[in-house]
Amino acid sequence: MQNDNAMTNAGAEQEDKRTTAKVSGEFVTIVAIFGLTIAMILASRAISPSFGSWSQVETILYLSSFLVFCAFGQGLVILVRGLDLSIASVITLGGVLTASLMNGSNEGLIYLVPMILGACVIVGVVSGIGVAYLRVPPFIMTMAVGLIVYSLCLGFTRGTPRGYPAPLLSDFMQGKFLGVPAPVYLLLVFVVFGTVLQSYSAFGRKLNAVGNNPLAAYIAGLPSGLLIVSAYAVSALCAGFTGMMLAGYASGATLRMGDSYLLPSIAAVVVGGSSILGGQGNFVGTVGGALLLTTLATILTALGIEQGWKTIMEGGVILLALIALREQSFAFLRDVFGKRG
Amino acid sequence: MASTQINSGAQSRALPTMRQVVESAFPIIVIYLVMATIYSVVQPSALSLYSIESLFNNSLPLMLAAAGATFVILQGGFDLSVAGVISLANVVVAVAPIEGPLGALANFAMVVAIGLVVGAVNGYVVAYLRIQAIAATLATMIICKGVALLVLGAPGGYVSDFMAYELTASIFGAVPIAVVIAVAVMMFWSVFRTTNSGRSLLSVGQDEHAAALSGIDVAKARFMSFLWAGAFYGAAGYMLAAQTATGNPNGGDPFLLLCFAAVALGGTAFGGGRGGVTASLFGAATLMLMQKVLFAVGVSSFYTGVIQGAIMILAVLFSAFVQAATSRRNTP
Repeated sequence: MQNDNAMTNAGAEQEDKRTTAKVSGEFVTIVAIFGLTIAMILASRAISPSFGSWSQVETILYLSSFLVFCAFGQGLVILVRGLDLSIASVITLGGVLTASLMNGSNEGLIYLVPMILGACVIVGVVSGIGVAYLRVPPFIMTMAVGLIVYSLCLGFTRGTPRGYPAPLLSDFMQGKFLGVPAPVYLLLVFVVFGTVLQSYSAFGRKLNAVGNNPLAAYIAGLPSGLLIVSAYAVSALCAGFTGMMLAGYASGATLRMGDSYLLPSIAAVVVGGSSILGGQGNFVGTVGGALLLTTLATILTALGIEQGWKTIMEGGVILLALIALREQSFAFLRDVFGKRG
Repeated sequence: MASTQINSGAQSRALPTMRQVVESAFPIIVIYLVMATIYSVVQPSALSLYSIESLFNNSLPLMLAAAGATFVILQGGFDLSVAGVISLANVVVAVAPIEGPLGALANFAMVVAIGLVVGAVNGYVVAYLRIQAIAATLATMIICKGVALLVLGAPGGYVSDFMAYELTASIFGAVPIAVVIAVAVMMFWSVFRTTNSGRSLLSVGQDEHAAALSGIDVAKARFMSFLWAGAFYGAAGYMLAAQTATGNPNGGDPFLLLCFAAVALGGTAFGGGRGGVTASLFGAATLMLMQKVLFAVGVSSFYTGVIQGAIMILAVLFSAFVQAATSRRNTP
């Protein structure tokens, strides 16, 4: 009986890899996540009239943009069968460098921004080399690198980060354009760019191939090692960028500013329908996951319920979303879609 | 790569000899002994019973947590709920302390029950509903942390005197109880891995489809691994409470990453099928010892993380190197 189950499931997974089935499966996941998010915002209106307003949607988009930035990198690393635990430290690195090097002036922004992001990319390259060429498990490599980076930040700042980001950056992060917070536009551009990069560019397709079957990718002549390193580099770049934006948002840096993004970045990717085993994923789903998590946290905070219950409900929603969005639940829907098509 | 797996598969099916038991955890035992030697040279007072006692009392919670995580990792899974269960067990013991040896036993039963319940939820969701382990256990970890906050909103509470004093002392004034517990876990593992449950755990981790075809109930093996893990996490939270003599709703947080670092240091493969609990116990002990050594050597506390991270990577590379060398020798 159990064997039968295993066999049928294996069959279903194989079918998944066919383009049509995969696309509709991903499509249903994405529609479900965004639907759930919108339903939550609308339902919150019933609790208090101040909820569900356009300004609340703006706030959610604004707050979720940080998670979306770093979850994109996490998604690419997960796509190539890895995991990036250094994200928290690299966010801190980006933030600390932004605050201390810019030091509250717009001077030298042209070379400081690439320099700060470059430092973060170096961190990602080191992680990537460890994983791809030295074959250290991604979990341990990125955790150790994260520990090293955090410790360097600690030593560099002597425990208390000082300085302020450039006024230009702060103004951008805190400013509005046509009545909408400026970072929301950045978020939209980033989502389009990220989706194209991950699903439609040659680079993204190569990463997909490496994640799907590293051996086949190798035989097909893809530079797997280089691709894996570049996934980690992009992840670190995104994390550093998140740190820079966060520093601009909060007008300063703290050593723990990245901590609250590590696990949510993984959760957003996985809730968004990507497989933690790699080779399957879609950035739009990740964005939906990030929006869902941020919406939930925003509503729970606004309700002012006890921290314990809030935490329980956050975990509960992740678990329920996972159960509701799992492959088998779509079998039925997919059939319906298939018949229509 | 394939030959390594086949080779280790053949090993796990044979009865383990003492040599094999040592061999599987061999690299990490060497690393541990080297570090212990350095420590005792740099800090001669480290050899006093008091220092040894406190070192092992400090290490035991992480050792138990790593032992539990190993069960799940061996079958190819992942379990982040460790941080939540430890926090929850820790606060429950601190909120409801029961005096005396029997009271300590009752408290122990409570935390193991908590671990089993969380493990059963994890196991059901992962093995039967087929949800990605890392995502499902992330959710249960968050839920457990929430419950821990409800039980005890801020660090506080106290544990029974028996737990705080007797369980952290030594037997016959010579052998710390923490060491006795660690050895008991090693003995348990050396028996467990030869049982049907132990073998199905390893074979599911090596090749799920082959295991299913040879009649192993894959889902049940997965489910059971989460139960074992939960029980060990509960015990880890219990010993954390005994060692700190208080409760902390966030007490489990540092264990999340350290626990997997310990398992990896021990040479257990992420993805399953190779490794063991004994190696993880030594991996955890090494991590804790490393902090002491760095402090004793006089590394600036700002930069200990740099060296810890570097040693972690080097230790994993060393384990992989030794494993590769030994498996090459064994392959005909």
